[in-house]
Amino acid sequence: MISGGKSYVAAAPAFSNDAKRLLLCAGSSVAVFSTSTGLQISSLEGHTAAVTSVVVVPASSPAGKVLCFCWTASLDGTIRYWDFSVPELMKTIEIKMPIHSMVIPSILDQAAKGEEKKSNVFAYISVEDTNMEEGRAKYLRGQIRKCNLTESRLDGGNILGKTQSPEFITISPSGKFFGIRNKRKLHIWKVPAKDSERFGIKKISLHHTKKLTILAFHPTERIVAAGDLTGRILIWRDFGSQTFATSEKSASGRLIDNEGKKPGVRGDDEADVCSTWHWHSTEVNVLSFSSDGAYLYSGGREGVLVVWQLDTGKKKFLPRIGSPLLYFTDSPDPSISSISCADNRVHILKMPSMEILKSISGIKLPFSFPEINEGPCSKFAFDQSAGLVALRTENYCIQFFNLFDDREMSEVQVCERNHQPGDEVTVVVTAVALSLDGSVMCTAEVKLPEDGIGALVCLKFWESESLNKNFSLSTVIYEPHRDAGISTVVFHPRRRMAVSSSYGRDFKLWISNDEILQNREALQNSGWMCHSVGSYKKKPMTAAAFSADGSVLAVAAETVITLWDPENNVLVAVLGEIETPITSLSFAGKSDCLISVSQGSKPQLSVWSMSKLSVSWSYKLQVEDIACAVDLSMFAVLVLLPKSSSVMESNGRTFQERDGLILLFNTTDPVPVATWSVRKAKGGGLGFIRGNRPSLEQNVSDGEPSDSLLVYINGDHEYVVFDPHGEKVRVLSLTRRKELVALEDTEHFGYSSIYGELPEFELKKTNQNLLAPSVPSGRPWETIFSGSSHNLPPLTKLCSAFLESLLERRTPTVE
Amino acid sequence: MADHQLSKTFPVKPKLKPKPRTQKQTPESKYWSSFKTQQIPNVISSITSLAFSPNPPFPFAAAHSASLTLFSSQTFSPTATISSFSDVVSSASFRCDGLLLAAADLSGLVQVFDVKTRTPLRKLRSHTRPARFVKYPIADKLHLISGGDDALVKYWDVAGETVISEMPGHKDYVRCGDCSPVSSEMFATGSYDHTVKLWDVRVTDLRRLAIEVNHGSPVEDVIFLPSGGLIATAGGNSVKIWDLIGGGKMMCSMESHNKTVTSLCVGMMAKDTGEASRQYRILSAGLDGYMKVFDYSKMKVTHSMRFPAPLMSVAFSPDCATRVIGTSNGIIYAGRRKSKESKEEERRELGGFSSLGATEDEPRRRALKPSYFRYFQRGQGEKPSERDYLVTRTKGVKLAEHDKLLKKFRHKQALVSVLRCKNPANVVAVMEELVSRKKLLKCVENLDLEELGALLAFLHKYSTVPAYSALLIGLTKKVVEMRAEDIGASDELKSHVRNLKRSVEEEIRIQQSLQEIQGIISPLLRLAGRR
Repeated sequence: MISGGKSYVAAAPAFSNDAKRLLLCAGSSVAVFSTSTGLQISSLEGHTAAVTSVVVVPASSPAGKVLCFCWTASLDGTIRYWDFSVPELMKTIEIKMPIHSMVIPSILDQAAKGEEKKSNVFAYISVEDTNMEEGRAKYLRGQIRKCNLTESRLDGGNILGKTQSPEFITISPSGKFFGIRNKRKLHIWKVPAKDSERFGIKKISLHHTKKLTILAFHPTERIVAAGDLTGRILIWRDFGSQTFATSEKSASGRLIDNEGKKPGVRGDDEADVCSTWHWHSTEVNVLSFSSDGAYLYSGGREGVLVVWQLDTGKKKFLPRIGSPLLYFTDSPDPSISSISCADNRVHILKMPSMEILKSISGIKLPFSFPEINEGPCSKFAFDQSAGLVALRTENYCIQFFNLFDDREMSEVQVCERNHQPGDEVTVVVTAVALSLDGSVMCTAEVKLPEDGIGALVCLKFWESESLNKNFSLSTVIYEPHRDAGISTVVFHPRRRMAVSSSYGRDFKLWISNDEILQNREALQNSGWMCHSVGSYKKKPMTAAAFSADGSVLAVAAETVITLWDPENNVLVAVLGEIETPITSLSFAGKSDCLISVSQGSKPQLSVWSMSKLSVSWSYKLQVEDIACAVDLSMFAVLVLLPKSSSVMESNGRTFQERDGLILLFNTTDPVPVATWSVRKAKGGGLGFIRGNRPSLEQNVSDGEPSDSLLVYINGDHEYVVFDPHGEKVRVLSLTRRKELVALEDTEHFGYSSIYGELPEFELKKTNQNLLAPSVPSGRPWETIFSGSSHNLPPLTKLCSAFLESLLERRTPTVE
Repeated sequence: MADHQLSKTFPVKPKLKPKPRTQKQTPESKYWSSFKTQQIPNVISSITSLAFSPNPPFPFAAAHSASLTLFSSQTFSPTATISSFSDVVSSASFRCDGLLLAAADLSGLVQVFDVKTRTPLRKLRSHTRPARFVKYPIADKLHLISGGDDALVKYWDVAGETVISEMPGHKDYVRCGDCSPVSSEMFATGSYDHTVKLWDVRVTDLRRLAIEVNHGSPVEDVIFLPSGGLIATAGGNSVKIWDLIGGGKMMCSMESHNKTVTSLCVGMMAKDTGEASRQYRILSAGLDGYMKVFDYSKMKVTHSMRFPAPLMSVAFSPDCATRVIGTSNGIIYAGRRKSKESKEEERRELGGFSSLGATEDEPRRRALKPSYFRYFQRGQGEKPSERDYLVTRTKGVKLAEHDKLLKKFRHKQALVSVLRCKNPANVVAVMEELVSRKKLLKCVENLDLEELGALLAFLHKYSTVPAYSALLIGLTKKVVEMRAEDIGASDELKSHVRNLKRSVEEEIRIQQSLQEIQGIISPLLRLAGRR
């Protein structure tokens, strides 16, 4: 079983200490990516629910940069401690409450002081209180608590704050303050010094008139910035100068003598000045100070990263990121940072110039389409042989996602239009279809009219020469069925032929020119053209399907099924009547069965026998999607469970949150061969793909190679690939070649980026240490003696290094 | 994983236009349409015959009414006129050295002129009825062939003004003839008795007939193809090609003219690359006004050209640079092609004028030293050689003014600026983009009176154009509804609306008549489909 398609942008990512790795929360695991290649290195598996925060233990000394430890908190109520270079779980702390956010101030503090002494590590966590009984009107579910990580216990009874829902905790880079936003207020706590632990933790609140969305602390000064719903950015300077004064006398050198005039500060908030900047038109989602505190980064729905010079308020922009921004993360290396976008993509930025170095693209997340058609559009198209899924994205693209490798293959821009993230969606790709060999793609797009004018339906055929799915546009057909929308596009299984059915009461067969003129001469003029048009009693055509050998075309004319000879465009037969319009048709592989699905008030799944031209059997099921294997007589349906049944389900445990079922049928038998219950089935999809790919080294236990695997993609675009023929879901040993890409240290930064590598091999040694876990360096003496002789270090130094290189190296032990 | 850069900007583009299924311009049709046609007026009555001199600079003679005019093939200006004819001139032919010109007229007289002095040197009088054609054999300077309405073909000794042999055999008017390009003793004549006869004066038999083929309709013209083994005949609305070596077998027949084909000539496709690539075509001209180019190796009509008058004669210069076509109403359509050499010549001439006294050789190149500024620019203007691998610079997206305005969300200004540009496809593209941003109606609402006038003028002009009408008709309606008060207040806008109304009415009329036609046609189609 292969699972993937996780969202990388559900929580803020974190950089490792050397900024060569990026830790992304991907569902219940943490994926570790290399920042130089943008490929996944490893993943930390162990949590049972979504991971909500990752905190990398910072290095206290330059030598400590190789340390790869991190804390993760998850909704399953545990905090875990990992060595992510190996990767290995080192410690688990049970909290028993879903953790929504976690900060660990003391490790930041420790890093600053460079303390070696091991002291208690405290974390502040934002948890959701699930113990309280539901039903109360004023129910504060969110709690801020303190937790001793060294002793693995919650600081008893000490609830710092309560909010309506669990909030995201923001910590200052110096580790002295942390805060949350609560509606129109900011709550800021001061982290107590180690010796003053028994005192209560001090807290101030700052007020605003709009709902706040995000806050950020200045790295050195006492400045806090917050963004609100209307796009304003507020900056309070010298907050809490009285409450926090006791321990922090030096910082508040300027005593509060001007109590009367505190410009911009509301009420008796403890801050000197509050200034407001306004550029964003909608809410601010990203707010972060640069590590030297001179700049403030902000971003929001517009997909523009704005850099504010803190003293002057001057702006610089990184425009056209193409998607709303969610997080901005600084790395210990000042030249690298990352931004996470809402389209499940993480860009790694080269900092002062703000160029995108690499992009880590996850599967595109679902987005809301405006309702156009009553029937379901084809949400996913599967390339059976290559194991790809084609998804529609919000910015008028088709993303090809490799299901086996869990990464993006390519993206095809279907509609050449500038996408503005905040805008209302008016151009929608409604259908996508792939031919059986995956070389031709067909897309249909709809432009919605403004007040009745300017609607446009457009059918496009794309062809790709190579395996990497770089599709190029072959033919554009404007208004293929006059102004009517297209319900389905299906390709012929053998020939270069396609059928598009429309609600405009007809269907059209399209044929590629190359098929007509076989000579290569005319190829430059190749394209798709209409071969024939058919209609039945002026009824809207709602679905279409070709039989496995392509000799029969079935088109659903609302409630009846018409069978056609696609070559000669002759109506062959008409199959009986169903009560509600048919939304989907498909032939079940090799068998002579046609499966029709209708939705609505009286949903129905019927299997028709082609030899008898009658219904074999049918069910009254709300079918979300259907998949037929090409070479089997099996088909699988994804069924939505009706609300009533899940409520009256006695053992609520098994069906908790599970709203769908996958049923695998044999066409001859109305009793399902196998069933699986799934979550988030609404908006999900099913598909068969061929499993025996040469690059996928799978070893199935019983030796016989499984032909086709079933893919289930849920409503959040997370997917599972499994073998439907096993008695239970057999776990395919997951030898997805994890691209254990060695971290190549080609990038220099800091001193070495300016002056080159230091000649001492002390640094070299640490580099080798760094490489040690992944790649045992083969013949290190070559590197020792490389270079001209007058540049080499003295022989006495070289000798020890040479001997050392000959000896077997023990794995470095780090305490 | 593809390196993802920032999302690109796409300029607003108009919808694609459908490409024609067949290529619009084959290289062949490109060649034939490269003859820039111009009219030579002031010639009275029908041009019965056109003949090119075989020698450079290839002047040509046009026979019209009772005179013969010589034209320069470079400038198409008449250089000389011979008018010592008593009747309509029917045919003219140059001798192989281009010094003499033979002409026949309807009085039956055949005359030989000196081209330079235009004096008649010989008068060959033997035809009792109108003489219809006269021809010099290819390499023979002493003899002439002529034929006429007396159904006789005559072989003349020019110097002695005597008929060497008289060939009877045709049963009707002899209208045309041609001499073989390979032998000066063989010639073919075509007659209204539907036959083409091939004569050989060496045959001792009195009738001297070699081969006879039947075209099937009165033969208007006959030519030898350059190989000498084939002849092409024109008669009725067909052109037929016959294999003489194969004993007079018909090779193919081209029937793409709608009316009688009056004249044929051999055309050449001269590629600039060399002599070897010369390809021969048959040019045929017909009374239907079409000039067609026939590729007889592929048996295909490769180009056709329409002229506004019935065509009587066609000729093609031996250097492939000039093509002349004579019509029945006295206009000569002469076309000249610019070949590479002529261009070069022109340039040389120009260069000669500009650098009158300058030295011919190139200015001496100074060696570049680092003290010169040009030293640092050396090699920058270097052209890539043929085998160099070119690393192309990625082209930036070109943004028009309306694109820039759209990028800044200044929608109304974008609409106004594109309306000013006068490209209707772009205007519609911008409107479509505004529709998908749901801003078009807002823009219309905010236009001031002058801009509204521009919009109305645009709508008046293009709202009935089929390519744009889907959007524009709806928009027109909305505009008139939304801005009714403003329009009512301004006289200028009122006049725009009046224009608009007129074009709408006209469109409705067109639609109605189209529907009428459809009503007439559809039963016919249905009947045809039933059969």
